[in-house]
Amino acid sequence: MQLNQYVFRSLAGLAFVCQAVAVPPPDVLTKNCAECHSEKLHTSGFSVGSLEAVVQGGNKHGRAVIAGHPETSPLIKMLNGELAPRMPMGRELSASEIAGLETWIRTMPVSAQPAASAAWRWPYEKPVAKALPAVSTGGWVKNPIDNFILAKLDAAGLKPAPVAERRTLARRVYFDLVGIPPTPDEMQAWLADQSPSAYETLVDKLLADPRYGERWGRHWLDLARYGETSGLEGDGGIGNVWRYRDWVIDAFNSNMSYDRFVTLQLAGGDEHSKTRNNYQPDKQGLIATGFLRLAPWDRSNLVAADVRQNYLSEVTAVTSSVFLGLTVGCARCHNHKYDAIPQRDFYRLQAFFQTTEPGRTIDVPFKDKEIAARAEQRTKEYQALLKDSAEKKELDSFEAELLKKLIAGKAAQSKGKELTAGDLRLEVKLPKSNVFTDALRERYQELLEDATRTGDAEEKQALELVETPMLAKLRDSYAKPGANAEARFASLTIEDVKTEATAKYSGKSIFTEEEKARHGELTAKLEVYRNRLGRWGTAVTGVTQVPGPPSGPDIAPVRVLTRGDYRQPAEIVEAGFPSAITGNSNPAVIESDRYLQFPTRGWRHTLATWMTSRDNPLTARVFVNRMWQHHFGYGIVRTPSDFGVNGDRPSHPELLDFLAVRFMESGWDVKAMHRLMLLSNTYRQAAENSALAKNEKDPDNRLFWHFNRQRLEAEALRDSILSVSGRLNPERGGPGVFPALPGDLADFARYGRTGGLMWEPPEKEEDARRRSVYIFQRRSLPLPMMSSFDAIPFSESCDRRNVTTTPLQALSMMNGDLTNEESVFLARRIEKEAGTEKSAQVRRLYELTLGRLPDDREMTAFRGFHGNLESLCRVMLNSNEFVYVD
Amino acid sequence: MWTDRDVRRVLSRRDWLCNSYLGLGGLAAMDLLGATDASPMAPKPQHHPEKAKSCIFLFMEGGVSQMDTYEYKPELWKHAGKQMPKAERTTGELATFSAAPNRVIAPFWDFKQYGQSGRWISSLLPNIATRVDDMAFIHGLKVDNNNHGPAVYHALTGNIIPGGASVGAWVTYGLGSENKDLPGFIVLGDRRGATIGGAGVWGSGYLPAAYQGTLFRNGSAPIVDLNRRADTSESSQRAELDLLKWVNERHAAERSNTGELEARIAAWELAFRMQTKAPELVELSKESDATKNLYGMDDPVTEPFGKQCLMARRMVERGVRFVKLLHGAGGDRWDDHGAIQERLPIHCREVDKPIAGLLADLKSRGLLDSTLVVWVSEMGRTPFDNNLTTDKPGRDHNQYGLVSWMAGGGVKAGATYGQTDDFSVRAANEEVPLRDFHATLLWLMGLDQNRLTYLHSGRYRKLTDIGGRVIKEIIA
Repeated sequence: MQLNQYVFRSLAGLAFVCQAVAVPPPDVLTKNCAECHSEKLHTSGFSVGSLEAVVQGGNKHGRAVIAGHPETSPLIKMLNGELAPRMPMGRELSASEIAGLETWIRTMPVSAQPAASAAWRWPYEKPVAKALPAVSTGGWVKNPIDNFILAKLDAAGLKPAPVAERRTLARRVYFDLVGIPPTPDEMQAWLADQSPSAYETLVDKLLADPRYGERWGRHWLDLARYGETSGLEGDGGIGNVWRYRDWVIDAFNSNMSYDRFVTLQLAGGDEHSKTRNNYQPDKQGLIATGFLRLAPWDRSNLVAADVRQNYLSEVTAVTSSVFLGLTVGCARCHNHKYDAIPQRDFYRLQAFFQTTEPGRTIDVPFKDKEIAARAEQRTKEYQALLKDSAEKKELDSFEAELLKKLIAGKAAQSKGKELTAGDLRLEVKLPKSNVFTDALRERYQELLEDATRTGDAEEKQALELVETPMLAKLRDSYAKPGANAEARFASLTIEDVKTEATAKYSGKSIFTEEEKARHGELTAKLEVYRNRLGRWGTAVTGVTQVPGPPSGPDIAPVRVLTRGDYRQPAEIVEAGFPSAITGNSNPAVIESDRYLQFPTRGWRHTLATWMTSRDNPLTARVFVNRMWQHHFGYGIVRTPSDFGVNGDRPSHPELLDFLAVRFMESGWDVKAMHRLMLLSNTYRQAAENSALAKNEKDPDNRLFWHFNRQRLEAEALRDSILSVSGRLNPERGGPGVFPALPGDLADFARYGRTGGLMWEPPEKEEDARRRSVYIFQRRSLPLPMMSSFDAIPFSESCDRRNVTTTPLQALSMMNGDLTNEESVFLARRIEKEAGTEKSAQVRRLYELTLGRLPDDREMTAFRGFHGNLESLCRVMLNSNEFVYVD
Repeated sequence: MWTDRDVRRVLSRRDWLCNSYLGLGGLAAMDLLGATDASPMAPKPQHHPEKAKSCIFLFMEGGVSQMDTYEYKPELWKHAGKQMPKAERTTGELATFSAAPNRVIAPFWDFKQYGQSGRWISSLLPNIATRVDDMAFIHGLKVDNNNHGPAVYHALTGNIIPGGASVGAWVTYGLGSENKDLPGFIVLGDRRGATIGGAGVWGSGYLPAAYQGTLFRNGSAPIVDLNRRADTSESSQRAELDLLKWVNERHAAERSNTGELEARIAAWELAFRMQTKAPELVELSKESDATKNLYGMDDPVTEPFGKQCLMARRMVERGVRFVKLLHGAGGDRWDDHGAIQERLPIHCREVDKPIAGLLADLKSRGLLDSTLVVWVSEMGRTPFDNNLTTDKPGRDHNQYGLVSWMAGGGVKAGATYGQTDDFSVRAANEEVPLRDFHATLLWLMGLDQNRLTYLHSGRYRKLTDIGGRVIKEIIA
């Protein structure tokens, strides 16, 4: 059957290309119908652009394909002439082509039909904790999670894997909670603890470990698209957004309740006081709204309305996908194609941000005493360096020297050239002019300033009116014999030296390349001090409210934008919650203060209040599912930011509901939820379940009949390498750090025009060995090793890291600085701890890196290796067992 | 037939979501089909047969002035020095830096007709002019923003906001690469500095990291961490890798579901080979002097870009799928707000001979048919003066006036699509959205923009985002 070959080939091709999302319709449709029924033309509302579109059908007959029933499917009827007009227009498909399509529809299982129009109500209905299901072997159940898991396994006739070996379990839970493997001492202590509550003790110890916040904070920063620069022209910084990063880490460590965690990120500093008049919101709250500031907000885009709309759209989309697991962003341009989210709802949700203003700089004092002390000390240090460091003095005297050269050079260049407006400007700036009166010079300066500042045509004309006669006069007077025509160059300043020294202009420079280079180096050194000073300051670029009436303009109404285009405003909408959840499109009642003093405040807070209310069906489920994903490898819903029709169906909806209810009832207690998950027997299973390894019922482990082996993320891998070599610097918090980039990459990445530094030397040598969460996240310049291991590009919210394997990873792990340097330190550490005897060294190597002892064959192989200890260390750091956690 | 397995693995919406979501799509699907090559860069079939197998993407950063290079607009001479006529001056919401009076600047260079197609080209590009019969032009392309940052992202990732996947990442995601020992997507940066967005405009964005561009730098270690450490010999590294392989194979033998683990073993072997193959790739000593001179490597002005063009040829010769060349950086780019008369000739000269040499060389080696060569910038420029300096005129940004050309595989040589008005302010009739350019590029590589999708955060992402039409008029 030819058609089935088509189908199969396209399926196979699809699988290969791993564009698993777009199963194409049969080629015969694409070939014959796409001319009119393409995704773009959509003639009569019908398209063969995708399988869903084919199934969904056109305007006239509705659903075109009914799985299993070619005889009633309008698609076939239109092709065989039962429905008019017969398609394709003016032609006919051959009988065998039609027969092929009939077979395709007849054999199409109902489950394969896209769920485009299916009602998928579960996400919008409040979770209810049902009674725990009965299970076969009560002995396996440690807590309610196990009831739900085992019940499904029972139903499928599967048995859970045995409990993981003790060393494996410890390693797993260390990576999971703190992102670093246990030290041999920690492992020994765990193995020695034979009490029945040993595992609970371990979990509790790690949940209280401050490294826990660094590990789990990083997961949240992925969602928050955390990056510290714009990523755009010049890649300028988002002022001190590291404060948000530290806030997230602290929130996890202090076990901030999740409802508060959500509220502060959406509405820190947006709250009213119910009692106090003239209440000023908590400044510290502004730090948390870094979540809203991390959206692309781009100065370099010239159209303010476009900047604002792009910002609002991104914030609306990310807020709903991160907190609600709803892809509201898809409805920016049109009604959601799959979920019950009309386009209006996108703008109703966006309206909560209508009074939000990103980009203002606010001083927020340091809350953490230790950081405040560090800031004070460093500020003093850098102020002193900027004022009278050796570099500063050297630069000053060098610039003075260059100024002399510039004045002489300009004078020489000017010989025989006609004077221009530029010359006039120099003359005017002189302390005393022999040509013009002071009054005229002042007048000219003012006009020049106005024309430059406003760029206004009339101002320019006014300037020209004065400029033209002045220039003529200047030419005349300089042409007179005996006139000192070069005097004007005395008004050149150090600023002009800087301009000349950094110009990458085509004209011939007065300075030599060497002079320019030296100037650049000296400037760069001071720039580093200035940058550091700024980073230790309290100024933060944040998100605030527009002033609003009476001190500002009225709040502009929010309009639906046709095709999401800011130039095509349509109907006005009011702020409101997604109708799919509330069942209505009523405007939200915006929280206001008693005296209606602050009409622009409280909008986002209203949204946060709704999100964190017990009636919201999604907030708790979505977060609990994210936690589950990080603990177990995959979520119960495997598309953690999309609970909609297009998303994955929950494997255990009752379990997720149970957890969501439990979570809310506990007061949104995150650490209690960790505990529940980690203490389940489901979590303690081994990664291998050999009895079921080849089972056909659930090859994807949706039912959790074994633990999912996971690759370490880029950050965990780097942190682990530094940890086993004994060199990880445990310092917490503060501005981002700059580990060295490989080779000349930093120089290469220098931004041409300004020569601005894209990467700095570390403040202190040991900063390069801080945990990866503290690395400065420059959006245009990720560490190559990190990005080769699927670290996020910092610009898009990421709900799950990709796991790819490439030769570039191998190169960085074989030849890169990190593994090579740390292998040396690891070797030294082993020599120190295990002495010079080779067997003892190999044993220590295994203990440190893999948390176990080598078996006999491994010992033989490692002992017999003709290479030094560093080589063995490098092998271990590269091994799959080091990188994959069972 | 729809077997249960097909349905479960491939058609059941939920499962395909998961496969791609988890970034294991490739591997899982390969396992399923019993394929032996589990690398994400394994070659994949085109959506439809097209000639081009590789793409060389020439990106001129800064906004190339179209009316001084590829667009002959005699009206400009007539209006030189005068204010723009009212009707033509306004370009809708074009946001520029310049203010009135917007005096027209006539090009400082002569235009002549070249080739069978009789295309007018300015005297700034005398060498490229000789190749016009191999090229097809698109005029009046519209970019979604009028400043560099967003516009560069738009040209290189299809979206003005950072975070998307770059064109090269999409192409390698769709097609894999033919050469197992080299990266499939290589970026040759400008020696003067990074392009706007840096890694963001050659990254894989939300696509798996395997598809990100690999930056090649000057020197003997073109790839970061390519070279062995000075204290490591090839044989000692081989010995380490042998032990590593043994360790990893034992590890895998005790486990099930070993696709990823085996892929990792293979990747380390590939990296070992790459250490030999990549330096050979950039080693130009075996090229003849005649070839080098063809690319302008005998002249210090054209040598840097000539070298990049020659390396690009060597790459496509070896089956690298996508090579992106960046020209211009920071202040030294095609952003001629002022002093266009001094600046533009330099940049033109830097690329003119190298690009013409590349086209000629590809053609004489029979590679042009299977290679798509694309020239593009992030925007065009205005016909009027920027008023930035009083005495050295220059042109402002113009998001409606971008011009691009394509040559080689599948391109209808000598064709033209789109036209700007007499002042080259914007498209005379229908503007051509930049996504049409991207759709066309993909099509010429045998990829259908609507089938090349990736699910991310609940949306099927495409390079062309929404809409997009393949410009069939320039396809052979």
